[in-house]
Amino acid sequence: MLRHIVQRLLNLIPLLFGVTLISFIIIQLSPGDFLSEMRLNPVVSSETVEAMRRNFGLDQPLHIQYLKWLRAIFLRGDLGYSFAYHVPVTWLIGSRLLNTLILNLAALVIAWLVAIPIGIHAATRQYSFSDNTLSMTAYLGISTPTFFSGLLLLLFAFKTRLLPIGGMTSLDYEFFPWYGKVLDVARHLVIPATVLAFTASAGLMRQMRGNLLEVLRQDYVRTARAKGLAERPVIYKHAVRNAINPLITIFGFEIGGLLSGSAILENVVGWPGLGRLILEALVQKDLYVVMGSLLIGSITLVLGNLVADILLAFADPRIRYD
Amino acid sequence: MRRMAIAVGVAAILLVGGIVPLGAQQPKLTLPGIPNPGVASYAPEIGKYGGTYVISQISDPRTFNPIVAQDTASTAVTGALFEALVDQDYLTGEIVPGLAESWTVSQDGRTWTFTLREGIKWSDGQPLTTEDVAFSAQAIFTDGVDNSAVDLLTFQDQPLRWRVLDKRRIQFITPRAICPVGIFLRLIGAIDVVPKHKLADALAKGGAEFNRTWGINVNPKELVGTGPFILQSYVPGQRLTLLRNPNYWSVDKRGQRLPYLTRYILLIVPNLEQSRLKFLAGETDFYSARPREFAELKAQERQGSFAVYDGPETFGSEFLVLNQNPAGVGSGGLTPAQLSWFQDVRFRRALNHAIDRNTIVQQVYAGRATPSWSPISVGNKLYVNTNVPQYPYNLDRAQQLLAEAGYRKGADGLLRDAQGNVVEFTLQTNAGNTDREAIGNILRQDFVKLGMRVTFAPEAFPSLVSKLTGSYRWQAIIIGLTGGIEPSSGRNVYLSSGDLHMWRPNQEKPVNEWEAEVDRLFEQAACETDQAKRKTLYARWQQIYSEQAPMMWFSNPKTQPAVRNTIGNIKLGLQGVTGTLETRYYKTVYK
Repeated sequence: MLRHIVQRLLNLIPLLFGVTLISFIIIQLSPGDFLSEMRLNPVVSSETVEAMRRNFGLDQPLHIQYLKWLRAIFLRGDLGYSFAYHVPVTWLIGSRLLNTLILNLAALVIAWLVAIPIGIHAATRQYSFSDNTLSMTAYLGISTPTFFSGLLLLLFAFKTRLLPIGGMTSLDYEFFPWYGKVLDVARHLVIPATVLAFTASAGLMRQMRGNLLEVLRQDYVRTARAKGLAERPVIYKHAVRNAINPLITIFGFEIGGLLSGSAILENVVGWPGLGRLILEALVQKDLYVVMGSLLIGSITLVLGNLVADILLAFADPRIRYD
Repeated sequence: MRRMAIAVGVAAILLVGGIVPLGAQQPKLTLPGIPNPGVASYAPEIGKYGGTYVISQISDPRTFNPIVAQDTASTAVTGALFEALVDQDYLTGEIVPGLAESWTVSQDGRTWTFTLREGIKWSDGQPLTTEDVAFSAQAIFTDGVDNSAVDLLTFQDQPLRWRVLDKRRIQFITPRAICPVGIFLRLIGAIDVVPKHKLADALAKGGAEFNRTWGINVNPKELVGTGPFILQSYVPGQRLTLLRNPNYWSVDKRGQRLPYLTRYILLIVPNLEQSRLKFLAGETDFYSARPREFAELKAQERQGSFAVYDGPETFGSEFLVLNQNPAGVGSGGLTPAQLSWFQDVRFRRALNHAIDRNTIVQQVYAGRATPSWSPISVGNKLYVNTNVPQYPYNLDRAQQLLAEAGYRKGADGLLRDAQGNVVEFTLQTNAGNTDREAIGNILRQDFVKLGMRVTFAPEAFPSLVSKLTGSYRWQAIIIGLTGGIEPSSGRNVYLSSGDLHMWRPNQEKPVNEWEAEVDRLFEQAACETDQAKRKTLYARWQQIYSEQAPMMWFSNPKTQPAVRNTIGNIKLGLQGVTGTLETRYYKTVYK
């Protein structure tokens, strides 16, 4: 098992190398650079713009720029400098990372807590009124884009004044005691976490329902029922445990999306996370911020899958990596 | 504080007692240690102390270093923390004393001597001296420091020079034979004064280090300024909290120290929509509404306890520009035929008559804009020339002008030039700018009616810019520029040698006689200290530009600031600015 994990982690290196190289080339090949906007500023001369280009190292050949970036990462763990903010990319990402994690973890927990019981409920009462209603709701959840439901809920918050309109903390947050701070963030979390959890749980619930229905048709379930086992232990002890395996793979994917899954929504509701930072960096072509966040995104995706595979090995005795 | 109260008391007795005749000079207002403070005589009301003023802005600041700051999200913050020797009156645009209480200029107009107000302190208690002013100028001219002021302060490759006379007096000397005298004070107003005792070490390590100093990861305590506020905290992506600077050097008409507000908070929101919602919900006190929102907000004034003002025009404008640059001929750029049409003033005038400005004003700006015929906005009362030739929307007149220039509309309805080439071109703008996209569609419809084949193809901003300033391979573009109050801030656009002289940049010698005349007018205006004479020179320039139509302006959008009723000292100035931060106050202070 340990050998397998080490092997997988070693595989990460060429993978990340490839991902960063390709994204670096694509970003650089698209026309314009970070200084495009400055070129259209009447009071800035082209000499000044060129001097800034040199400062940023943008005048050097592409492969040199890329290798320099790689070298700084290997030598100092330095992801480079943001052109726009004049601060290290690691600081910039660090200042937003926790916020995005809080949002996505909250959504993840809500989604799983809601989706699994509902999925089981729907599967055990297939084609009943409640199953049909839940399925309808799930389709709605899958097909509604988060920016739209986010906007709807913001409008709701505006009309009812029950919840704050976007953001993550109140003006006087610094003066609150610790429990006040927790409550304040929780209040601000309601809208974005609900939106994310709604979409995620819709898919999860459909998965759970489908898996469970399939397991319930298996021979061993019929045997269990035939030998007179009560319905509850049949479902919860035998069927559900087997039906949950494929969901572990999905869980791995979701871990991979912990840092990137909420990007669009963050821009709608004003959650101060990585999503807003990255989108802005992409638009402005703030090269190393984009590269840095791509790198971190790729790492979490690969690690998420690794975690899922390990969990699978624990859950399913048939899976062995040695 | 007590001394101040006594001073005010004495003044009141003098007035009431009739010892000073009515209408005589007001008693001199002072602050402890500051014998000659700034007086906010422009503010209509005397305010109350206390309260929090909350506004929202779309982006995070990029730096707190005022020398490096260029984007409005950063300058919105640094503007409250730092100041220059001189200031611009927001009502009239005129230059008024700032950190300097007075200045003199030598006979030849090249040596300017500024005297600092006595007793101004940095927010950490250190005294402000001319060494700080000299240091700030030095930072601008240090190699590798990213800032745009260096281009303004360099005259034909010769930098501005300066000399510290004593703790309160400093001289600036402009290079020989170059005369920026007309705009010199405005240039000095572009230098934010920063504390030498805090930044000298960073500058000594070079430009790159200085650029990073006072970045957004700085400890706010390090940010020492002379402005009305000091930064208390910055939470990335969320908010900036500023506190009253107790050392500020300005007073109101009663001699009370400014600013009135205790806290000033800038919320960072992701988009204008949320900015609007937060204002309507009462979470913020100010919202800079878009033109099409004016009517809707007006209807909600009473219910939302705010007022939305019918503000004047901004200094910016969108315009159409046609490529007249021979270097633009080639694939993806101009055909030789297109170059000859675009270089022909008769063709440009005909197009100008086909621009339906009233429809643009109505459809794009919901009536909240004024048609524009000149490079200077209607809102710039100091310099606008309203008597330039106009091109009212008239397709028949456009058709007639085209016919006179040898263009014929065939039986197939297509317009052809004298050589038989069908008149066709691609009109571009930056994709995502909905105003410009709407204007582009209006323009295209009318140009097509003239028999032209016009393709409207919005494109991403960076690639559009690289075409405009790099490859020159473009045909027609709709774009906008934000204008300063002084036309000379647009030298780079209007001089034939400018990089942003879009239709034909970087000319070694002016190609057209009218461009040569514009170059001369700008040089003359730069040497002219008399405001009225400068206005005449720039009026002639606007006349030429309107006649030659190298750029075709559409309209100057109006401003519509909305302010909560609890906020006092609201008086609209240029570009719809509602007042100054230091005189703003809360009418009712909730404890």
